[in-house]
Amino acid sequence: MLNHMVQRSQKSLDGVFRALSDSTRRAMLRRLSTRERTIGELAEPFRMSFAAASKHVRVLERAGLLRRRVEGRSHVCRIVPGPLAAANVWLAYYEKFWRGQLHALEAVLESEDEDRRRKGVR
Amino acid sequence: MSGKVTVRVTHRFAARPERVFDAWLDPKTAAKWLFATATGTITRCEIDPRVGGKFSIVRLEGIDIEHVGEYLEIDRPRRLVFTFGVPKFSPEMTRVIVEIVASGEGCELTLTNEGVPADYGERNREGWTMILGNLEKSIA
Repeated sequence: MLNHMVQRSQKSLDGVFRALSDSTRRAMLRRLSTRERTIGELAEPFRMSFAAASKHVRVLERAGLLRRRVEGRSHVCRIVPGPLAAANVWLAYYEKFWRGQLHALEAVLESEDEDRRRKGVR
Repeated sequence: MSGKVTVRVTHRFAARPERVFDAWLDPKTAAKWLFATATGTITRCEIDPRVGGKFSIVRLEGIDIEHVGEYLEIDRPRRLVFTFGVPKFSPEMTRVIVEIVASGEGCELTLTNEGVPADYGERNREGWTMILGNLEKSIA
């Protein structure tokens, strides 16, 4: 059950990173982080067509980063922060791995210094 | 297509750039820290430190875990680029860029790991879960 959840969340992480690999989509998410916006509003600062904007919205939606509802003739989008948090946790793991490696390197160099100092004293 | 991410970390060292750089390529020094964990033992550390040369670092952690890669750029003491992968857990190779800048008596090292796959499937999951678990233990 837990394994299944982990597997599912990792599959969706792939989609999250893919969605975030595009600067336009990242900018869209930033704008959505302050309030809900229609697809037209999202398209505005980029001077892109409605069709192009809704393509980006679809990618974000599939990654689970965005949800939309239809109000009359407009589609109102809002951000879903959960998957972003998952992506952060995953990246943090990797950062921690390399940070740990560099700390280990530092410790090795320091212990070499100490050995040298001790030998020098004798 | 699978999602790829880049991880970047920076660390300051009291040691001079040359020493920090050499610690990556000297097998005796590298065996003490590179891909080492508190719970595992490095049982093999082979390094062929030239462009096109390969490395193989094996850690015994219940099972043998081999870390492999090939050196793409060696510019002592400024820049080291190599591919890096753990075949047991993922067929994908990532790229590691180590950049060292002198700073005062010591130096600052920036490590960039590019092409880290975000889509670990069933096959890789257990391995990474284990590695990450060990990491947690050894780093925390």
